[in-house]
Amino acid sequence: MRRRVSISILTAALVIALGTTRTSHQGFTVNAQQKPETAEVKIDNFTFAPGTLTVPVGTTVTWTNRDDIPHTVVSTDGAFKSKVLDTDEKFSFTFSKAGSYPYFCSIHPKMTGKVIVQQ
Amino acid sequence: MEKEEEMKRIYEKKKDELLYDHNHDGIDRRGFLKCMAWAGTGAFCVMKGGVLKSYSLSSFSDLNAAGAKGELSFVQISDSHMGFNKPANPDVAGTLKAAVDKINALSGAPEFMLHTGDISHLSKPEEFDTVDQVLKSATPKDIFYVPGEHDVLNDDGKQFLERYGKGSKGAGWYSFDKKGVHFIGLVNVMNLKAGGLGTLGHDQLEWMEDDVKHLKHSTPIVVFAHIPLWSVYPEWGWGTQDSAQALAYLRKFGSVTVLNGHIHQTMQKVEGNVTFHTAASTAFPQPQPGKADSPGPMKVPAEQLRSVLGITRVNYVQGQHALAVVNSTLA
Repeated sequence: MRRRVSISILTAALVIALGTTRTSHQGFTVNAQQKPETAEVKIDNFTFAPGTLTVPVGTTVTWTNRDDIPHTVVSTDGAFKSKVLDTDEKFSFTFSKAGSYPYFCSIHPKMTGKVIVQQ
Repeated sequence: MEKEEEMKRIYEKKKDELLYDHNHDGIDRRGFLKCMAWAGTGAFCVMKGGVLKSYSLSSFSDLNAAGAKGELSFVQISDSHMGFNKPANPDVAGTLKAAVDKINALSGAPEFMLHTGDISHLSKPEEFDTVDQVLKSATPKDIFYVPGEHDVLNDDGKQFLERYGKGSKGAGWYSFDKKGVHFIGLVNVMNLKAGGLGTLGHDQLEWMEDDVKHLKHSTPIVVFAHIPLWSVYPEWGWGTQDSAQALAYLRKFGSVTVLNGHIHQTMQKVEGNVTFHTAASTAFPQPQPGKADSPGPMKVPAEQLRSVLGITRVNYVQGQHALAVVNSTLA
C-alpha cells in the first residue's frame, strides 16, 4: 500500500517536472498549439446554435448539419466558405486572427450566425 | 342585389363551386379563400374565363374532360429534389414517376412542361441524370427549366447552365412565345445575401424590361421562377427582394400569371392584373408559413404522402382574360 502511494507521487512529480521543463524550453504558445481549442456549432431547424460564438484566437470551430436539408456555412466577408453540407456532414475552420466573423447559409440566407474571436 | 341573391342560391346548391365577382376584376374572393384553405389537402382551383372556381377532387375528371381544354395547355412540375431520401419520402424518383404518369394520363396532352427548379437535391450529376431519365417517359417532350437553389450548389450554376440553359442569358434567364402567350423564365436563386430573400439582380431586371418593351398590352404573360415573386413568408425567405421592380415592368399587361415553386405547397394570390401561383413539390411537403419551427420537410404518414404532392396544369383559351390553373395531387 505504502509503496503504491509513493510510486504515484513519484509519477506525479515526474510529470510536473517534465511539464515544467517543456514550458521553460518551448514557451506557453507551443503548449497551446499542442492542445488546440475547439468549439462546436450545431445546425438544427434552420438555425445556427449558438448563434453567436465567442472563442480565443487559434480555435477550430466545427459546424455540424443536423437537419434533413442541406446547408452551407459561408462567411459574409469571404474569410471561409464550406461546400454544401448534407445531413450530419461537418465543416471546420480555424480562426487565427481576432475579429468578428458574421456568416450565413447561402442556400437559406435567413440563417445567420457570428463567431467572435478574441486575443 | 339581384346578383347577390342569385349567388346565395348557387352557394346553397353547390357549396364547393363558388362564383362571385365582387370587384369586377375577374376574381371570386370567397372561392379564392376557400381554395387557400384547401391548399395541399387534395382540392384544386381553376381560373378560367376570368372567374376562379374551386372544385372538390371528385369533379376533377369532368373538368378534365370538358372544361380544362384550351388552345394552349402546359404542365408545371417543381421541386423534384432528386437525391433526397429522408422521411417522409425515401423514394423521390418513384413520386416523380407518379407525376409523369399523372401528366401522361391527362386528356388532351399538354404541349410542354415547365420545371420551376430544385430538380436535384445536392446538384449531383447523377441526380440530374435520374430526373432526365424519368422525364423522358413524359408525353410532352419540350421541358423548360429554371434553377432552384439546390441546382446551383458548389459551382455557381455552371452545371445547370450546361445541362438546361442552352440559349439562355446570364444565370439562365430567357423568354419564348407559344400561341400568342409570352413566357419569361427568371432566375432568383443566385448570389443570395446574408439575411436576404431571393434576388433577380440588376442585369436580369434590365434584360426583362427590354424583353417586354415591345409587346402589345393584350399579350398574356406567364412568368416562371423558383422562389415566389410575392412575399409569401419573408421570415422563412419565401419571397424575392427585387420582385416589385420586375412586376412594375408587367403593369401594362392585361393578364399576367406568375408560376413559382420552392415552398412545396399550392398557394394563390391576386394583385390587380397579376395572379400568383405556387406549385406542389413532387418530392416532399413543407409546412404552411409559420406553422412549424422551420421550413424543413413535413413528415406525413406514408399513405398520405401522395395527397400532398402534385402537378399543375395550365390552360389558355384565346380571347379569355386569365389562364386556368389546375393543381392536382399525385394521390
